[in-house]
This record gives sequence, structure tokens and C-alpha cells, in this order.
Amino acid sequence: MPKGAEEKRVISDSELALSLQAGSLEALGVLYDRHRGLVFRTALAITGDAEAAADLMHDVFLRLHRFAAHIDPQRPLEPWLYRMTTNLSYTWVKRRQRWFHPFEDMADWLAGTRKDTPAYQAEMDDSWRQVQQAVSSLPLPHRGVVVLYYVNDLSLQEISEILDIPVGTVKSRLHYGRQALKQSLGLLAGEIFPELQYEFT
Amino acid sequence: MENKSDALLRKMLKKWVNRQHPPDNGRARLLWEAAHISRNNIDLTVILFRPQFISSSSSNDWPPKFFSWINENSIQFGIQARII
Repeated sequence: MPKGAEEKRVISDSELALSLQAGSLEALGVLYDRHRGLVFRTALAITGDAEAAADLMHDVFLRLHRFAAHIDPQRPLEPWLYRMTTNLSYTWVKRRQRWFHPFEDMADWLAGTRKDTPAYQAEMDDSWRQVQQAVSSLPLPHRGVVVLYYVNDLSLQEISEILDIPVGTVKSRLHYGRQALKQSLGLLAGEIFPELQYEFT
Repeated sequence: MENKSDALLRKMLKKWVNRQHPPDNGRARLLWEAAHISRNNIDLTVILFRPQFISSSSSNDWPPKFFSWINENSIQFGIQARII
């Protein structure tokens, strides 16, 4: 028997989507294993919060299960996952900005500026925190485009279809997002990423 | 073609995101919840089109029949709180 024939056949996303529509939880599990990295990375980059990213990932796959009947198995699944992840992440960020920031600030004040304590500093590596802050300071529409382009390696056309905006808008958001990030990180790059800096000089 | 600062930015962002990983118990949690939702997914047309609820004998006897039917079938559909 040829070696290739012994290999297990990979079930396509469309076959799994059909099984999911028939109520198969096993199909949901396989899709989760296959795409969880993509969903988690996207949610993490947009929210900047690992716990929130885990919850959002859970929510995305739960919606995949719940709305399986509305998914076209003939079309690729990844754009649907990206769209759902960005939408839910945007909602999370907006809610947090509206409701939790004032309470967080008050809690920090009551705790004696918790963010200045050595424990907090040790908890979060300073250099990566600067990257996170730079990304989080981008306006939400720019952030989404930057994340899909740089973290997920999607093309302008793919981003345009996922976010349902013209390619020109994607280009302009990417331009402004990129400029803002470079401004925030450019001066710091030499200090916090010497190994990266070395590779490009 | 991507310039150096773009490539640096891409690598930087990927390294930042790849420092964290999805939780290990995520799959089990998802499948447990999905199974739970599937069990509770009651098709109300089953209730509405049951012959005992469209009986024309009396307009006042459907509520007790309805609630007794719910109570009898609650376990089957996984309803947590029974209607008394």
C-alpha cells in the first residue's frame, strides 16, 4: 500500500459544516481544533485581553453551532469566523469603554494606583505591554484592519469582504493604523526588541 | 513589496499575539454547552399542534392540559424548572 494512502483523509470544512447542520457535535469539535488559533489570535489582538479572547472564542464557536443552518457549506468558513470574531470583539471593546473604564479607574485609585505596584509591573512584561497599548490606542475600525492584515496575513480584498467595506476604505484605515503604530513603537523598537532590530539592520 | 519597517511591525505583532494561547479546557467547555443547548432546543410547534391542545370541546380546559403536558415532558426536553 502506498505511503500516502495510509494517511488519514482530512475532512474538509464544508463536509464538517454539513455534519454540523445535521447536529454533529463531533464536527463542531473538529472545527474548533482546526480554527481556534485563528479566532483566539484575532480576538486577543483586538481586545488586548487574553481572558476576553478566550470567552469570545467560546462565543464564536457556540454561534457557529447555533446558526449552522444559516451557513453555506459551499463557501469557505474562515471569512465567516473572522467576521463573527471581529464583530464580537468590537462589541466587547465598546462595552468595556462605556461601562468598565470608569470603574477600573476608581478601583485603581482606591487600591492606591495598583498599576504602579511592583507586583503589577512583574505581572506584565513591560515591552509587550507597550505593544498592547499601541494597538489598543488605535481607533477600533483601524485596529480591526491592522489585525487582519498584519496578524492574520489577509489581503486587502479579503479584509474588504470580511468587514464589508470598500477596498479603498481598507487601504486608508491600514495607512492610518500603520502610521500610528510606527509612531508609537518606532522609537521603542531599538530598546524592547533588540533581536528583531538586529534581523532588520 | 513590504518594506523593512512593515516586516518588523508584522513580526512584532505576531510575536506579541503568539505569547498567549487558547485555554486547554475550551473544547470540553464548548461541547458541553453546545450539547446542553441542543437538548433545550424545544420545537414549540410540537406543543401547539398536539391534538389535545386544539380540542374544541371546551375553551377553558386547555390550560391544565397544557401545563400537565409540559410537566410530563419536561424531563424529556431537559427543562430545568418545572411549571407548577
